[in-house]
Amino acid sequence: MSLPRYAAGRLLLGAGQVAGVVTAVFVLAEALPGDAAVVIAGDQPDPARIALIRAQLDLDRPAGERYRDWLGDLLHGDLGVSLVSQRPVTEVLAATAAPTVLLATATLLLLVPLAVGVGMLAARREGGRLDRSLSAVSVGLYAVPEFALAILLAALFGVHLGWFPPTAVGTDGNLLAQPAVLVLPLLVLLARPICSISRLTRAGMVDAVRSGYVAHARRLGIPARRRWLAHALPNALAPVVQQLARTTDWLLGGVIVVEAVFVIPGLGTALVDAVTARDVPTVQGLCVLVAVTTVTVNLAADLVAFRLAPRTAGAR
Amino acid sequence: MNRRLRTVGGAVLLGGPLLLALTGPLLVDGPTGHGRPFDPAGPLGTDFVGRDVVDQLLLGGRSVVLVAVAATTLAYLVGVPVGLLAATTRHRLVDELLMRPLDLLLAVPSLLLLILVAATAPRGPVTLTVLVALIALPEVARVTRAAALPLAHGTVMEAMRLYRETWWRRAIGHVAVGIRRVLAADAGVRFIGALYLVATASFLGVGVAPDAADWAVMVDRNRTGLFLQPWAVVVPAALIVAMAVGVNLVADRLLAGHRSTAERDAVEVLR
Repeated sequence: MSLPRYAAGRLLLGAGQVAGVVTAVFVLAEALPGDAAVVIAGDQPDPARIALIRAQLDLDRPAGERYRDWLGDLLHGDLGVSLVSQRPVTEVLAATAAPTVLLATATLLLLVPLAVGVGMLAARREGGRLDRSLSAVSVGLYAVPEFALAILLAALFGVHLGWFPPTAVGTDGNLLAQPAVLVLPLLVLLARPICSISRLTRAGMVDAVRSGYVAHARRLGIPARRRWLAHALPNALAPVVQQLARTTDWLLGGVIVVEAVFVIPGLGTALVDAVTARDVPTVQGLCVLVAVTTVTVNLAADLVAFRLAPRTAGAR
Repeated sequence: MNRRLRTVGGAVLLGGPLLLALTGPLLVDGPTGHGRPFDPAGPLGTDFVGRDVVDQLLLGGRSVVLVAVAATTLAYLVGVPVGLLAATTRHRLVDELLMRPLDLLLAVPSLLLLILVAATAPRGPVTLTVLVALIALPEVARVTRAAALPLAHGTVMEAMRLYRETWWRRAIGHVAVGIRRVLAADAGVRFIGALYLVATASFLGVGVAPDAADWAVMVDRNRTGLFLQPWAVVVPAALIVAMAVGVNLVADRLLAGHRSTAERDAVEVLR
């Protein structure tokens, strides 16, 4: 399969996924017990008042029509108005995005070199003591719930030893002003993906080094360093790139939890608050944002993996 | 660290919390009294509403473990038939119709789905079980299909068709029995995922009562007292971490126990 053809098919699937998620978000919001009017009416659930608000919000029109309007607005980048703060949802998202984007970017920047490095180190010493210890740790830490890890780290390093601040209270969302705040959240966010990615790198490198083309390269007299980095590594990295995309899913879950534990006012906190307050437009906006991000990242990763190893990545 | 040491360590880490979770509720007699909140007196002190932390620890493991087990079982009861049907059918359309909607489900981050649906559905262990099962379902169906495909289109299958064997004997007698090891190994991986999701959801307050006796809920609710009375937070968190690490180590051992490395790779790639 050629790259443009694969890209076209993959793009179509991605668009279908986004459309599906967007529709599902609308349907779920419809299914929420009590609509937006009831939420706004709040403490005085007077039927006349609710009917009035419903008319103001166009909630008395048929669902099909509203769905069409919602999609239209979405295409223009208009996500509606938050029921709680009465500000546009896009504004709310922009205001809370900074700490989350910072956490996610820092995690990814640290994750790739660390995980690939650890994986290559383990592959280099395959079967040795270092390899076995690394693999024991990475197997054990895989899928440890972030909140439990976060609490243990905060209790040990934050409260007992006092090395790092146990929460981000007082930074007011500006985490860079006090970088020490970032240490524990980043440790927690890194723990899980590092395990899976370093294992995958190790497995890929071990396979690649034993393969025919690396043996051939050795017979041609190509130096070991070049064999490892230029011949074996690209093939080993194809599944790693795809797994990296899947970690965005974990990162999102991790960020929600980490923000809750360390009291960081980011998108995860906004989501939990919006769901609790039944702020439907904000929840919808967050879901669309997350779905688009996830699908885009997966799409990009699949294309990169295809470019790295067209034979295996396309066959998925 | 050698393999045996790892397995023994894993079994101990898993067995301790598991035993506590399953037998703990039998050791607590009667409703527990209320004292002052975050009182450090007593073996582990009291929690945020003044209940004894030891009692809460004894009571709080069962829900996490049982919901995770129930969700994994449910995901298998639905996912394996779907995967088998998709693999054994000779109509491409049926395969696509069964698997494409599941691909869609995979695109939604699991915790997001959990938070969203939990907001619309009634709270309780049943909701949480169904949701976690729903999240595991696409993976179970995909692993089943991937493992069954070579068997469903191999020479044995062709021979069985020529002999006019029934669908039941072909799909169950040959394919399902042939993939049972892959499924057994995969079940460990799914249980790990389910345990993770159940604990995290409970921590975020999804699908549980806010004062439930549950390790994850304890961690969340007693967080405010981290400075006053750390045991009420640290012990349940440590139990959850120990259980997760233990399950990981034991499941890895089961995976490694496979004779066929191809099967292991199939599971490894999809996990």
